[in-house]
Amino acid sequence: MTGAVLRTLYLELRRDRGALIMAFVLPVVFFLVFAWIFAGTAGGNLRIRLVVADSIADDDTRALLAALAADASIEVVAETDPAAARALVRRGSADAGLVVRGALRNAEAGAPPPVLLLFDPTRGVAAAMLAGRIQRAYVQALPDVALGEVIAVLDARFLDLDPDQRTRLEVGLRALRQGTQPEQRDLFGALYEREAVIGNAESVNHIAYYAGAVAILFVLFSAVHGAITLLEDRDAGIVDRILAGPAGIRVLVDARFAFLTAQGFVQVLIIYLVAWVGYGVDLPGHLLGWTLTTVAVSLCAAGLALALVAACGSRRQAQTVSNVAILILSAVGGSMVPRFFMPPLLQDLGWLTPNTWGLEAYTGVFWRGDAPADLVLPIGLLLGAALGGLLLARALARRWEVV
Amino acid sequence: MTTAAPPPALLAVDDATRLFEGDTGLRGVSLSLRAGAVYGLLGPNGAGKTSIIRAICGRLALSAGRVQLDGRDPAADPEARRARGLVPQQLALHRDLTVRENLEVLGRLAGVSREAIADRVAWGLAWAGLEARAGDRTRTLSGGMQRRLNLVAGVLHEPRVLLLDEPTVGVDPDARLRVHALLEQLRDGGMAILLTTHDLDEAARLSDTLGFLVDGRLRAEGTLPELVHASFGTARHLEVVLEAAPEAPTVARLEALDLHASQDPSRWLGRQAGGMESLAGIEQALTASGARLRRVTLVEPGLREVFLQITGRELDR
Repeated sequence: MTGAVLRTLYLELRRDRGALIMAFVLPVVFFLVFAWIFAGTAGGNLRIRLVVADSIADDDTRALLAALAADASIEVVAETDPAAARALVRRGSADAGLVVRGALRNAEAGAPPPVLLLFDPTRGVAAAMLAGRIQRAYVQALPDVALGEVIAVLDARFLDLDPDQRTRLEVGLRALRQGTQPEQRDLFGALYEREAVIGNAESVNHIAYYAGAVAILFVLFSAVHGAITLLEDRDAGIVDRILAGPAGIRVLVDARFAFLTAQGFVQVLIIYLVAWVGYGVDLPGHLLGWTLTTVAVSLCAAGLALALVAACGSRRQAQTVSNVAILILSAVGGSMVPRFFMPPLLQDLGWLTPNTWGLEAYTGVFWRGDAPADLVLPIGLLLGAALGGLLLARALARRWEVV
Repeated sequence: MTTAAPPPALLAVDDATRLFEGDTGLRGVSLSLRAGAVYGLLGPNGAGKTSIIRAICGRLALSAGRVQLDGRDPAADPEARRARGLVPQQLALHRDLTVRENLEVLGRLAGVSREAIADRVAWGLAWAGLEARAGDRTRTLSGGMQRRLNLVAGVLHEPRVLLLDEPTVGVDPDARLRVHALLEQLRDGGMAILLTTHDLDEAARLSDTLGFLVDGRLRAEGTLPELVHASFGTARHLEVVLEAAPEAPTVARLEALDLHASQDPSRWLGRQAGGMESLAGIEQALTASGARLRRVTLVEPGLREVFLQITGRELDR
């Protein structure tokens, strides 16, 4: 009897183009969009569109702005006055603005900083990146100014240089200013060096993350869509017909659980195959962990979808409730924005969602190279939710059996 | 000389009781059905017809009474459940599956074995005249064909008791006649059939026994002649329809003629032993009382008249 229900669900899915697209095409499209976005951002290709307003326009400020313009991550889109720079940033025509309003050397005590950074709070990341680039350009383009300020502090507070020492320093700083070779100007050794602790490039990690994020989101949506056939069969009288015979409601619920699990597995498989072939996500190298996680994710989605649908009185109610629930779970759980970008409270709340459990397992597999034993917590939570959902769905559906 | 004992009832409902909010439900309904017989259950909307079918299907928990199928409790005996087939009022079919696929999956779920399903489906397609459409999706079938498919899906597992809830609702007269012919074949083959319907002609044509369910109670039961005799004896059905609800003098006159009001206060019903010649006297007496008559009819009683006499209202269509 279970086979008859499975066959029905398979045939109905195969003949429902909308459901097929929703289940197997839309997730891939979504994933490709995310992959496109994150392959670019994580690959170091971000460029800040900068508008500059140089009210001083002396050799120092021109040198600073030239150093910034030479930075590959900055595109100077306009050079104008401060008011126009503000307007361009406000309109979004530039990501940030830089106003040079004072001389960069020999500033008077108590004067405001010579450089003013203009930014749109909704693009705070651009301002933070630009601040770092300005510091670097300042040290590289005007090393004598940077070093001279340090020496001035040392002289005033700690060393009390004599006139001869001061003269020699001025000569040295002048020579430094006139130096033309980069190595002559590169006084400060690098403070840090970068080392990736995981073999993948960052872009591949992000794509692996979004493969899981998109997969879980759509497995949940498709599971609900499939579970709603239970309500459709009830409303059409098919459940009445079946329950008049030897089959009970449990056959209808359990068969759907099996079908939706298989459907979810295939959905995730397709997305990861695309991620593997198109973006180099190492699926074959993580097959065991991926399989365990995907089975658990699919079981969980099937169980939760059936419980949610069985709790609802009508198809419309089920669709409304499930859409809201899945969108909230996915937002909090990291299917839309990675959890590490979220405030701590939201990150903690994420642990209440299946999206987080699945994503923790997938990132464990693909980022950290976790062994199956390391995945016990997220996979255990997924399986627990799957079992709980199935049992709840059975219990709730019993009310249709006998009233 | 001994007489043969009547065959045992395949379906026995004893004192089935279950009340819902709003005081609807079943109030001690008892009925029985033997092999090769059709029981037509008539009643207005909300009378409890679907409730009794749900009770027989084990879907309605009874607060009192019991249901037995072939002498067994279907709630406790899976074999008893296999003896039961349901044809719901809705077209309980998978509309995106083909005719054959529907029969295959619904037959399997009804208990037809894997080995037997192909033969049973072939039989069902031939029996219902759907062979030519076997590979077509169900949604492309006409209403009448879908009704036939709905019926076949309910009998594929060869139930001994078939429950039919409004089996011809919404179909044209030709399609209805085809369904009736199929039901008569099932009855002649020994199947016991419980039929709920709003269609008096359908009930009269198909049923051996008729039951009138009103407000959860079985108000009358019997063959059509038995019901007519019980309600009318040798009299005819007299019906007086007024232009408006009558004033007191007219009410007194109507009651003197042994008429009683139906649910519609302008419509009065009764029995009249006399022939058509008596109508003139009745009309004269009522007009004299101030009544404004729309019509006065005297007809040989049939199922409609019995239903009117017992329930005081027409059967909703």
